[in-house]
Amino acid sequence: MPLARSLSVTSLSGLEEWDEEFDREDAVLFEIAWEVANKVGGIYTVIQTKARLTCEEWGENYFLVGPYMESNVRTQVELIEPCNAALRRTIDKMNSSGCKVYFGRWLIEGSPYVILLDVGFTAWSLDRWKSELWENCSIGVPWFDREANDAILFGFLTAWLLGEYAAQCDEPPHIVAHFHEWLAGLGLVLCRQRQLPVATIFTTHATLLGRYLCAGNVDFYNNLAEFNVDKEAGDRQIYHRYCLERAAARCAHVFTTVSQITAIEAEHLLRRKPDIVTPNGLNVKKFSAMHEFQNLHAQSKARIQEFVRGHFYGHLDFNLDKTVFLFIAGRYEFSNKGADIFLEALARLNYLLRVNHSDVTVIAFFIMPARTNNFNVETLKGQAVRKQLWDTAQTVKERFGKKLYESLLVGQLPDVSKMLDKEDFTMMKRAIFATQRQCLPPVCTHNMLEDSSDPILNCIRRIGLFNSAQDRVKVIFHPEFLSSTSPLLPMDYEEFVRGCHLGVFPSYYEPWGYTPAECTVMGIPSVSTNLSGFGCFMEEHIADPSAYGIYILDRRYRGVDESCNQLTSFLFQFCQQSRRQRIIQRNRTERLSDLLDWRYLGRYYVSARHMALAKAFPDTYIYEPHEPTSATGFRYPRPASVPPSPAHSLHSSPHHSEAEDEEEPYDEDLEAEKDRVNIRQPVSIPNRNKNQTVGLPEKN
Amino acid sequence: MVLVYDEVRLVDVLDSGDAAHLAMMKRPDLGVTFTKLHCWTLTEYSKCVFMDADTLMSYLRGKSSLPHQIPAGLIASTLVCSSSVPPTRPMGNFSPPAQRMAALMASGDQGVLNSFFSNWATADISKHLPFIYNLSSIAIYTYLPAFKQYGHDAKVVHFLGKLKPWDYSYDTTSKTLKGQSQDSSDMHPNFMLQWWELFFSSVLPLMKEEYGDQPFHSGCTESDIHADVAQMHISHHPPPPQLSSQERKQKWEQGQADYMGMDSFENIEKKLDSFLK
Repeated sequence: MPLARSLSVTSLSGLEEWDEEFDREDAVLFEIAWEVANKVGGIYTVIQTKARLTCEEWGENYFLVGPYMESNVRTQVELIEPCNAALRRTIDKMNSSGCKVYFGRWLIEGSPYVILLDVGFTAWSLDRWKSELWENCSIGVPWFDREANDAILFGFLTAWLLGEYAAQCDEPPHIVAHFHEWLAGLGLVLCRQRQLPVATIFTTHATLLGRYLCAGNVDFYNNLAEFNVDKEAGDRQIYHRYCLERAAARCAHVFTTVSQITAIEAEHLLRRKPDIVTPNGLNVKKFSAMHEFQNLHAQSKARIQEFVRGHFYGHLDFNLDKTVFLFIAGRYEFSNKGADIFLEALARLNYLLRVNHSDVTVIAFFIMPARTNNFNVETLKGQAVRKQLWDTAQTVKERFGKKLYESLLVGQLPDVSKMLDKEDFTMMKRAIFATQRQCLPPVCTHNMLEDSSDPILNCIRRIGLFNSAQDRVKVIFHPEFLSSTSPLLPMDYEEFVRGCHLGVFPSYYEPWGYTPAECTVMGIPSVSTNLSGFGCFMEEHIADPSAYGIYILDRRYRGVDESCNQLTSFLFQFCQQSRRQRIIQRNRTERLSDLLDWRYLGRYYVSARHMALAKAFPDTYIYEPHEPTSATGFRYPRPASVPPSPAHSLHSSPHHSEAEDEEEPYDEDLEAEKDRVNIRQPVSIPNRNKNQTVGLPEKN
Repeated sequence: MVLVYDEVRLVDVLDSGDAAHLAMMKRPDLGVTFTKLHCWTLTEYSKCVFMDADTLMSYLRGKSSLPHQIPAGLIASTLVCSSSVPPTRPMGNFSPPAQRMAALMASGDQGVLNSFFSNWATADISKHLPFIYNLSSIAIYTYLPAFKQYGHDAKVVHFLGKLKPWDYSYDTTSKTLKGQSQDSSDMHPNFMLQWWELFFSSVLPLMKEEYGDQPFHSGCTESDIHADVAQMHISHHPPPPQLSSQERKQKWEQGQADYMGMDSFENIEKKLDSFLK
């Protein structure tokens, strides 16, 4: 069971210490998003994982604002009376004016307060509010866009809430309102239009246009500066949404995005350069036992191996101990997620491994949900056969064991040739007959609907990887989310990731990338790209990322074929490693988890909020951006003292003797020292707060 | 014409009768050019300058600078005496023998003068009009290099060839030429434009006065640049008639915002900026 680590905040001593936070005085923070207590996508994870830290910082002055959904409230929220007097008056007033506003605690770590607005209940105001929106902002919304209409209701209710709260406060408050995504953004625009005393922040986790354009096979990054954004949005029928997004970005005091690459995207598509980058973090749970995660890896790996034994029955001519498990997971976006380039690289890897007569086998899992018609009979049969063999072996063992026992009791050494009798042999022969298999192990675990138009299957057909005996690379496409109750592969996602050797995420469009981040935190190496937020983030922080098991593919400055070759070489290098080298690499990967923890990444949010307060209330708050010191961040090649990537210490032949494996040393303290050199905070990020209050005589 | 000139004399159209020959050269109008020869009969003047109607003076020169006698304009590379700009000393008679000879020459009056004044090229260089006094505005002539060198000094520009400036039409607002597409004998647009500008500013008002209310073909058009430009940019929606605010809102609600025009984000931004400090 995971326990919280009691060591200091960061084991990465190269990161500078975080100064105490600025004096918030009486500031109140509202964090507004459609996904508060309402899981739709990744923003839910961001808010939910960060809640504990934010509660620690803001205490009783922190309120999340989201939409009221009855099912969510039943399972995740405890409704209570508002503790804050001004807020209580606000909610009462709103409820007596035709709204339904709920107050409660969200049942997650940190237990933050939530204010939930029932947008459906106030739908009678929609027309009036649409007219007001038109009058003030010249933006209209089509009647048939349900989400956009919800956004209008949500926005007006939020602005109403904030305005009423400001009015109900005894003294003029300092309100910070942090809005996530365009769905919540209208509230921000209205706050500004009504000149409310609110410091506004707008965070976008991706841009509407960006996702659409990338999905449309456009050479996105090379043409970023040239798009006629109005036209692109209009042609795709999302002009009104795009207007809401841009309006929010325009009106916010502080505008942030989740990564450097998204900042560039936003600069061109939303026409505003973000003031600060606020990456997404995780709540990292550390184990009290240092390398517990390695044990978990071994356990989960064993379970995957069981599945493989069943799946490949009749064709188990490869050594499972020399089998490497790769995987890719996420939404089924064939080119955005890079599944296309992954498949192509697998084909090339297969060729390389065959040509080198390698005895390594690679199994690549594709976990991307698609439309299916339940499990493939062949795959289920595989698991059934495996189970049957196991049962047969157990039965024979029982009988054998009994005979042994009897023999020993009598005081006679057992005669091995007599131990297994005819019956046993018959049983075993029957079992072996059942493993006869004419067809190859299936490439897909389910029956796909529209399988002739499915991109992954079509690509597999083209490259010809059908799990034949000569192929060193096998492919398994699992087009459904993993579940621990599945008859096929009874593991949940986290367990599965732990059991794999390498996660491969060669995305073309990925504003942040929780999937590689999660891998890293579990100590599993991953491949990402310099077009993903996560990849950019790692490149900025680490001198030689591949030494730490973070492989970053260059898709930005290279053509597709070159990128594919680079990916192939990463995979090939990875396969050449011995078990010992893999273990050491995982240790290094796991060390990076502190970089992804909210305890480190939260500082960017703190800066953003401080910046906003200083802009909105310049008499009370001052924000001074941190001057970049020398030698922070990595834009230069790594120093010589850094440990070489495991790949560089390879012998040219793939065969290692066991004795050589043991020579690779691993020393905790030495590693910590190397981390100090290799891992730094990048140059441009502010990390110092200043607090100088001006004009308030009661402050010292 | 009377307003501009001090004397206007009507000349009989001498027709060489050699239609077949001339038609062969595709210049049937050359027959009319024999009338030029009549300027030798202008005995009441001491000096004459014959300017074809398709010439343009870009530099008004004083009489004193005129060379004394002939000036058949010399075309530098060919040394053929062009008959177009001859300031001549009018000579009294122009004998019929010369006329007959002319009939034999394929190049109309040019040929006549060439043979008549056959010793020019060699006799007296001072009698040759400097090149710049007879500059053809056709770049295909081999003297383009000379044109480039001397072009800026051109005093008289002669529009040789089939297409004359008045065959084009002139857009007064954008100051461009429209009309027949260029054949390979491209004119230098500069001089064309100059011709038109002069025509538009000095001649057209007089013509308007002359014609009064009667419409006449002036060759000038006044175009509306803005409409043209707007036409180019709006590819999806035709230029909308002015919609009321309410109507525009309804269009948005139908999913038909005019995102390339009235509803572009630029305009929305202006609205937003009005309340942002």
